[in-house]
Amino acid sequence: MAEFLQYLITGVTVGMVYALIGLSFVLIWKSSGVANLALGGLILIFSWFTYSMVVQAGLPYWLGLPLVIVFAMAMGWLIERFALRPLIAQPILSLITVTLGIFYFLEGLAVFIWPWMVDALPPVFPPEPFRIGPAVVAQAYVWAAVISLVLFGLLTLYFRYHKMGIAMRATADDQFAVQACGIPVTSIFSTSWMFACVVAAIAGVLISWIGGLHFGLVETGLKAFSIVVLGGLDSFIGAMVAGPIIGLAENIGGGYLTPFLWGGLKDIIPFIIIIIVLFIKPYGLFGEVRIERI
Amino acid sequence: MGLPCGTHNYTYAQDMAIMRTKTHWALLIALLVLVFTAPLYWGDYWLSVANLIGITLIAAIGLNILLGYCGQLSIGHAGFIAVGAYTAAVLTNRLELPFLVGLIGAGLMAGFIGLFFGISSLKVKGFYLCIATIAAQFIIIWVINHLEITGGFVGIAVPYASIAGFTFKSEASLFYLIMVITVMCIFFAKNLARTRIGRAFVAIRDNDLAAEVMGINLFYYKLLAFFIGCFLAGIAGSLLAHWIGFMNTEQFSLMESILYIGMIIIGGLGTALGPILGVIFIRLLQQGMMFVAPTIEAALPALPAGFATGIAPMLFGAIIVLFLILEPRGLAHRWMLFKAAYRLWPFSY
Repeated sequence: MAEFLQYLITGVTVGMVYALIGLSFVLIWKSSGVANLALGGLILIFSWFTYSMVVQAGLPYWLGLPLVIVFAMAMGWLIERFALRPLIAQPILSLITVTLGIFYFLEGLAVFIWPWMVDALPPVFPPEPFRIGPAVVAQAYVWAAVISLVLFGLLTLYFRYHKMGIAMRATADDQFAVQACGIPVTSIFSTSWMFACVVAAIAGVLISWIGGLHFGLVETGLKAFSIVVLGGLDSFIGAMVAGPIIGLAENIGGGYLTPFLWGGLKDIIPFIIIIIVLFIKPYGLFGEVRIERI
Repeated sequence: MGLPCGTHNYTYAQDMAIMRTKTHWALLIALLVLVFTAPLYWGDYWLSVANLIGITLIAAIGLNILLGYCGQLSIGHAGFIAVGAYTAAVLTNRLELPFLVGLIGAGLMAGFIGLFFGISSLKVKGFYLCIATIAAQFIIIWVINHLEITGGFVGIAVPYASIAGFTFKSEASLFYLIMVITVMCIFFAKNLARTRIGRAFVAIRDNDLAAEVMGINLFYYKLLAFFIGCFLAGIAGSLLAHWIGFMNTEQFSLMESILYIGMIIIGGLGTALGPILGVIFIRLLQQGMMFVAPTIEAALPALPAGFATGIAPMLFGAIIVLFLILEPRGLAHRWMLFKAAYRLWPFSY
């Protein structure tokens, strides 16, 4: 029972961070219809950039983290301005492959600057763990989940009440109507990219507080796709619900099935879920079913 | 199509022919003679580069049929190549079957695995399909790493290829084997595009709903595209296994899959010439970087330590992005433009 509770809590808390990565994907998909496959590379770059700021440059966290956020915004703006904007109105194939090219570039960049590939961020949370019943949970997990929830709440409020957020939702709904209303669609696109990169950066920092810095962060970013596929590509709620589900499936499945199957099962479960979801319910739990016309 | 002035076609067959003038034939034969006498004047190093290009080309042609003609994006191509490579390795090493059985078996195995993951293409497309194929890539590599028969993380040795008692040991002999199969694949792909199947693929790529309304069986043709694409990947995998002689899964990463997509984008999607140009471009660039990067690193000690390994992926990523923005139709389109300009020179039209 203690074991189960342990898996449960770890799964849900890690799942919240995954949900944040999924959220970053949904932000871009909703506003501009671009599938951001570079997410794994972005998470990798932002986490290592945090390392550069905090460890290599020796800045304290209160100064380093804002710098990371500024860097993430700059990155989002650059990617949108120079890679995505020239491709507006191109077929979806080009939009997907251009993010693959960016992914390739970012992975090379990470090897280029940080070739030793494994490290850790200095801890921010006290080392003694929380005890919830018989389960023992490191503080980093709990705080990561709390920060994710807060961020999710803020984003929801932003999209509901802020003028820019409403404009972004409107863009997702109908680009032509939005243009007719005088909202600059291109600046909406670059704002959504900046937002998405900031969310990805925060998720990257949280996940590297939990698991350390390594090139597996790319796969963590890729796991986010199982979240968006399960939750539905265009649904914030979907990402928030699917994140913990994937986290749970990963931890409980990995924990109980590994003795019967092979090691490393934990890392492959999200991908198996993708295949199952695509076979059974391709548009996810909360996704909008697209009906096409010729 | 740029035909020389004064060439007129009087029958449909003449109009559709691939080789239309005597000059075409002469150039084709000259090229084939040049390629097949290459071992006489190339050293082992360049032959090995040519072998790598040939093997990559077979897989890229498969991907081009799948992505370029049928429009089904697959980011798991390296995974399907891995299926072929390991099937060939298991068949020839563990079961000691002849090379040709391994070759066909590898193609069929990769084709059927591709069919399985391709089934999702019937329900979804675009981004969903590319996620399914990324999942395929990871699941395939994980299964290979944990099966006992494939040697797992340790890897598996693959014997030399041999046909009817002749063993392909040297680079030169393998060069002939690989080139014969490559030329066959190019011929197959070029002709496939002109048949009913190829036209159905193109119709599905352009608009699958419209294609269905016109009476194209989506189920059949989408799965056929997956089967052909992955079959060729399997053939390439088998040749790769026999060429390298030792397999482990490091060679089949997600990055390699992305590079394959990059190759056919750089070459030009949906053309017969595209994969050839793209594969030669990328593989030669890789070889070039292997020479140039250490030299630059030695000359400029101020560069970070990851320069030699990191610069190549950065360059490839940037090239893929630049091609998509500046020349989405790829090198093949540039070649057509060059041919048109050359034909009309010195007049502008």
